[in-house]
Amino acid sequence: MGAVDTRPRPAGQTVRSRKVAPYLVDCDCHHLWHKIDEIFPYLPRQYVQEIKDFGSMFPLGGWTNMPNSHGYRIDHDVDETTDFAEFTIREHLDPYGFDAAILTGQMVYPVVGMTNLDYAAAICRAHNDWTLEHWAAKDERFRVVLAVGPNDPVQAVAEIERLGDHPAVVGVMLPAGGRHPYGNRVYHPIYAAAEQHGLTIMTHFGGEGRGQTNPPTAAGFPTYYLEMRMARPQIAQAHAVSLICEGVFEKFPGLTWVFVEVDTWWIPGMLDHFDADWKAVRDYTPWVRRLPSEYFRSHIRVGTQPMEQPRSREHLLSFLEHAHADEVLVYASDFPHWDWDAPTSVAPDFPASMRNRIFGETAREAFHL
Amino acid sequence: MTRAGQREVVVCALADLPPGERREAEGAAGHGVTVFNVGGELHALLNHCPHRGGPLCRGRVGPLARSTRVGFWTFEREGEILRCPYHNWEFDLKTGRALYDDRLRARRYPVTVRGGQVTIHLSRPNRRFPAPK
Ligand code: FES
Repeated sequence: MGAVDTRPRPAGQTVRSRKVAPYLVDCDCHHLWHKIDEIFPYLPRQYVQEIKDFGSMFPLGGWTNMPNSHGYRIDHDVDETTDFAEFTIREHLDPYGFDAAILTGQMVYPVVGMTNLDYAAAICRAHNDWTLEHWAAKDERFRVVLAVGPNDPVQAVAEIERLGDHPAVVGVMLPAGGRHPYGNRVYHPIYAAAEQHGLTIMTHFGGEGRGQTNPPTAAGFPTYYLEMRMARPQIAQAHAVSLICEGVFEKFPGLTWVFVEVDTWWIPGMLDHFDADWKAVRDYTPWVRRLPSEYFRSHIRVGTQPMEQPRSREHLLSFLEHAHADEVLVYASDFPHWDWDAPTSVAPDFPASMRNRIFGETAREAFHL
Repeated sequence: MTRAGQREVVVCALADLPPGERREAEGAAGHGVTVFNVGGELHALLNHCPHRGGPLCRGRVGPLARSTRVGFWTFEREGEILRCPYHNWEFDLKTGRALYDDRLRARRYPVTVRGGQVTIHLSRPNRRFPAPK
């Protein structure tokens, strides 16, 4: 184990030794507004008026207890005057020495469930403009994944065309809740545009079972928050399998897909089973030319948070090896939420041989940083 | 702020630490040590979670939620359970033990009241609840 300083930082002081890898990327750094009014300058007049009259009328963020106000931890010193971007720089980027932080939003995940597609597209455009001006412009370590409404691929593509070449933009966000598994060809124009602009697709859990999206589990609607947390990998697996079986990575060989906050324990078992069944029934989908695990290992990346916690180190190491963690896992903090993983708190979990890849090199390649 | 190497730290006057409240000696033992008044008993814990190093003592204090029948709650031991601001794991304020992971225990320190002043003792091991190695 290397010399990783896991001590909390004395208040207001930067300690470079807390940097756990030479190039450090956070693949899940949430950014959010205090109030939706903050995006009014970027929103068409009719929607501003409608929100003033009736509220945003968003479906909730998901069947997930996702905070609709702000998600800062109770030990965070924030109030209505806090500049969240500066807070994130001061409390997160600087003390841990991040080289890049992928801004994953959270306020707009409900767009996947909206029936009013024009409103959804307008909210996404406003969110993206606000993100570029109020976050990316403040610190070049902040990297942007574009919010788009996947239910209207034409407008989603237009948004990618509008902002896809902005130097801060590195990806496109398709929240996990949706109307179809993401391999479905209705979404392919979005992937073509993303590939053309060198953008990576991200899927964060969110939006499941809200508005017009599918229930958050195939068995139906769970009752409790704990159940919903256990449902996230199920959704991610369905999307990942769909992407591979529908030939997305054959059609778009330059595309990388990064899942975050969907757990990781399922990767080894699913890949083994996927490969075995492919040998038996691959001739029904012969465009899946390679072993499914090969597509997964070359095109799909999964955020580490919430980091798995097996009972023993032996189990952890065997899991990491079995999951091809050095190829597949990318560090994600989930800052500023309560269930986050600080880089220093999970660094000792990874063997030295994998650490630099998981903390930065793999993400650097995935997002072309 | 507590000086490095300081053995005894006066945290506050007892009058300023009524039941249900807490006071932190910032920087004590490196991470800070917080004294909780749990129904008249004083308990001092290191502000460092044995799970993944979160600022444990800044978490919410509440009761132990239990159930005797599906769909019904009972709340016991009001004010005795501390939950970490990271990951929400629960700890028993009186022992420092994690409620649902018997390998984890937050470091505790002896507390005395001298001349009305709440004092923590950083050098002495807590005999009743020795800190984990
Ligand atoms: S660090 Fe305290 S519960 Fe995880």
